[in-house]
Amino acid sequence: MATTTRRRWRSPRPRRRDEPAPVAGRWGFMALRALALVLMAILVGQLVRLQIVEGQRFREMATINALREIQVPVSRGLIYDRGGRPLVYNEASFDAALVPADIPRGQEGRVFAELSAIIGTPPQEIEALWRQAQGTQSPYDPLIVKQGLTREQALALREREPDVPGIRLLVRTAREYVDGPALAHVIGYMGPISSEELQSLDGQGYHLNDWLGKAGVEATYESILRGTPGRIMVEVDAAGRHRRVVAERPGQDGASLLLTVDLDLQRKLYEALSAQVPPGEVAAAALMDVRSGGVLALVSLPSFDPNVFSDPARRSQAAALLDAPGKPLLNHALGELYPPLDTFKPIVAAAALQEGVIRADTVIRNQAGYLLVSHPLDPGAVPDVIFDPRPLGDTDLNKALAQGSNVFFAQVAGGTPGGPLRGLGEARLASYARAFGLGMATGIDLPAEARGLVPDARWKEQTLGEAWRPGDTYRFGIGQSYLSATPMQVLVATAAIANGGRVLKPHLVREVRSPDGRVLDQVEATGRSQVGIAAEYLAAVRNALARAVDEGVAKSAAVRGLRVAGVTAAGEAGHVWFAGFAPADQPLVALVVYMGHGTADKAGTVAAQVLDYMFNQTNIGQALQEGRR
Amino acid sequence: MMQERVSRHFDPVLAAGAIALAGYGGLLIYSASLSSYPDGIVSLDHPVLKQALLGILGIGLMLLIMMTDYRVFGRAAPALYGLGLLLLVAVLFIGDESLGSRRWISFAGVQVQASELAKLFTIVALARYIADRPLEIRRLRHFLATLVMGMVPAALVMLEPDMGTAIIFGSIWLVMALMGGVRPYYVGVLVALLVLSIPLVSAAALSDYQRERLTLFFNPNLDPLGGGFNILQAEIGIGSGGLFGKGLFQGTQTQLDFLQTATTDYIFSVLGEELGLAGAVLLLGLYILVIFRCLRAASLSYDLFGRLVATGVAIMLLVQVFINVGVNVRLLPVTGIPLPFISQGGSSLVMTFMALGLVQSVLLRRRPFEP
Repeated sequence: MATTTRRRWRSPRPRRRDEPAPVAGRWGFMALRALALVLMAILVGQLVRLQIVEGQRFREMATINALREIQVPVSRGLIYDRGGRPLVYNEASFDAALVPADIPRGQEGRVFAELSAIIGTPPQEIEALWRQAQGTQSPYDPLIVKQGLTREQALALREREPDVPGIRLLVRTAREYVDGPALAHVIGYMGPISSEELQSLDGQGYHLNDWLGKAGVEATYESILRGTPGRIMVEVDAAGRHRRVVAERPGQDGASLLLTVDLDLQRKLYEALSAQVPPGEVAAAALMDVRSGGVLALVSLPSFDPNVFSDPARRSQAAALLDAPGKPLLNHALGELYPPLDTFKPIVAAAALQEGVIRADTVIRNQAGYLLVSHPLDPGAVPDVIFDPRPLGDTDLNKALAQGSNVFFAQVAGGTPGGPLRGLGEARLASYARAFGLGMATGIDLPAEARGLVPDARWKEQTLGEAWRPGDTYRFGIGQSYLSATPMQVLVATAAIANGGRVLKPHLVREVRSPDGRVLDQVEATGRSQVGIAAEYLAAVRNALARAVDEGVAKSAAVRGLRVAGVTAAGEAGHVWFAGFAPADQPLVALVVYMGHGTADKAGTVAAQVLDYMFNQTNIGQALQEGRR
Repeated sequence: MMQERVSRHFDPVLAAGAIALAGYGGLLIYSASLSSYPDGIVSLDHPVLKQALLGILGIGLMLLIMMTDYRVFGRAAPALYGLGLLLLVAVLFIGDESLGSRRWISFAGVQVQASELAKLFTIVALARYIADRPLEIRRLRHFLATLVMGMVPAALVMLEPDMGTAIIFGSIWLVMALMGGVRPYYVGVLVALLVLSIPLVSAAALSDYQRERLTLFFNPNLDPLGGGFNILQAEIGIGSGGLFGKGLFQGTQTQLDFLQTATTDYIFSVLGEELGLAGAVLLLGLYILVIFRCLRAASLSYDLFGRLVATGVAIMLLVQVFINVGVNVRLLPVTGIPLPFISQGGSSLVMTFMALGLVQSVLLRRRPFEP
């Protein structure tokens, strides 16, 4: 039918059938072929740009897309007492989380509802959390919705995980502490990593939802206890489901700690101290092996149950601890400073003997029972008065320590006003105080240790802008003035007198053991320095301290069948101490007891009960003697 | 007589190119559906099997149309064109909705994409109208008549909404009208008017859905996990393929489901990722081959009608390939156009084979009398 219409474009004249196609048609086809080639060339050009020029960048993006690194938790190292009794257990704890990036667009509502049905949190709350997390954290990081799921909830969640994209069950090791309150300040507790910690620990493989040690040895030995988490590289699909493991680096379980602490002794010390201190009042006590510096027991009151930190359901209890009376989270044995009072006198005594200020038999005469110290530049001012509890009359070193004489030691420190005795003076007092480890951290393996303060003239000038007065020297000599120390520092100084002058670095960990029980590391006695006092003078001081317990003011610390040496102290504004050691003639342990309020006898009683328990009721003392550690 | 024509004028290169493309497509569909059918072809509902059956149907229809005189379709052109429009109207009311637009019409249990058939019918109708008026076509009246014939189906698919197919209708009309002899002057004026009205159109005529797609095209990072996801993932897939690709079935973007609609609109990304630039150039080369053979058929045609039909088919293939691949490589805004012969989907595959049947029919009858 179309045979009559012929290819005619310009001329109305009909053409014959077999004439060639018109020129315009040929040009048209040429143009169309060119167009096809140009369009394809544009596509190829763009392909070259994407695949060759920028290929590397897109390859990296594809890799990031498809690979996700997942941390495989390892079990945290356990903590044992010196006898190998476990002080903490690991328990699995289950958290419900959302991975926002894996939730398909438009299905958020369904996912929230599914999760809500499993864990019981209302969907509105889940949505609020989800909204909150947007922009503040990476959409690939799990967002914890509920912590501490029950076993049933965890099982249900695990079951639904593959079908509901974006929901995730997180399994975490939670700690269960044996004897929580008794050991709280030794072991500490764990908590979720803070954003500051996350930043400062950058590069150590911590993640947003990790927990770490926050206090006690849990914090100090975090890197040892934690182990090395394993890592697997998994290929994930667009819904976040794991397809296969691409690479795997096995983790290493955390190493365990064997403490120097004896669980029984720790419990006894906790009970004995608690019995003497009203609830909420501050107190601290510690026992240390004078040969090694190993801490046998360490208690700080008020205490708390570290298990409240492990259990998300008890979070409000944990928060309440922050401003509870007596600051229970603070370790009062080393985090707070108190005037050492009479516990400083043995140091003054040893220093005076060493410096030749007095001899062991030097007698200082004082019938009045007090000492008036006037100000040399301002004679009209009200003089300082230093009292003894009662007039002691002629006093030598033994009597002074045994009876807790302030008048004697004030004169040893500052000299007899107008008399023949020239005192040690503030410079020598300060230098001996420092030689015994005061004014600097003991270096114990616990966090947040206070440094303490040893004053001298330059310090007072610089800090307070006042001149050093003679009265300051007298008060320095009896452990007052500006001198302040932690109970741990007093313990270390007392141990130095007991062990012949070695200032030790106290420690709580005696061994680090691999998960299969091999000993990785052992802590030997770590001496920091020598006090620089001749053995005979230290022996004289020890002897005097023993007599203070035998027949002096520290009688409350006496134990049947055991010779104890030590001093007690009770300040006018509180601050009650016992510092001593036992056995007096061959010291094994040093002991410090501090109470915010109370009588000196109470501190002595705590010491007596604990030492009696250690040497008489149990064989802890004997084992310690034989174990040489 | 017919046997002789077949052996003499049948274009085996065209047919082989088309079948090679369909086979290539089957391979890519197999790869793209591995994540849903990890065990390969074990049941009859595997997409590759369905595609193969439809391919066989398409080849059958191609042969049937080839054996039929193409002028028969010319005679039926008004009816076919009417049927095409009817389908496009019907789909707006009874069509199945998917991904925000109505494109499919269920017909005795078979889903047919109305616009695929309408494209072919419109080519035939335009060719008939122009071929009937070889000289008068230079008049404005007839220019406008062809414009209306092309724009009515374009407007109807725009309502689905399916902007990509509307552009294909427009391109088919433009090239067929120019090749058919309308005055280029009219076309120039029309194009100028269109360019001037672009701001108006984009403000008024584009639906929110299309505007959103355009915005995302220019900045997919606005919403990387939402609407922009596919654009970015396709680009990453293709870009990461490099020169030779990651290997068939080895593309992480494809196999881990980062690519959505990987068997249909984004199948080119599967190719780019797994077979790289080399595989893509091979594909584009095959298209060039098929398109050039169609243009050859057009230039050899005995009459203007045949020439215009073959030209229309060639330009339809060219524009469809360019738009689909252009979207995949982020040269063009997102619009869902199947890649001819390759994308999973029966309507497109069967219709494209049918279109090539028409071209072969034109070739077989390029001489009214065999010597």
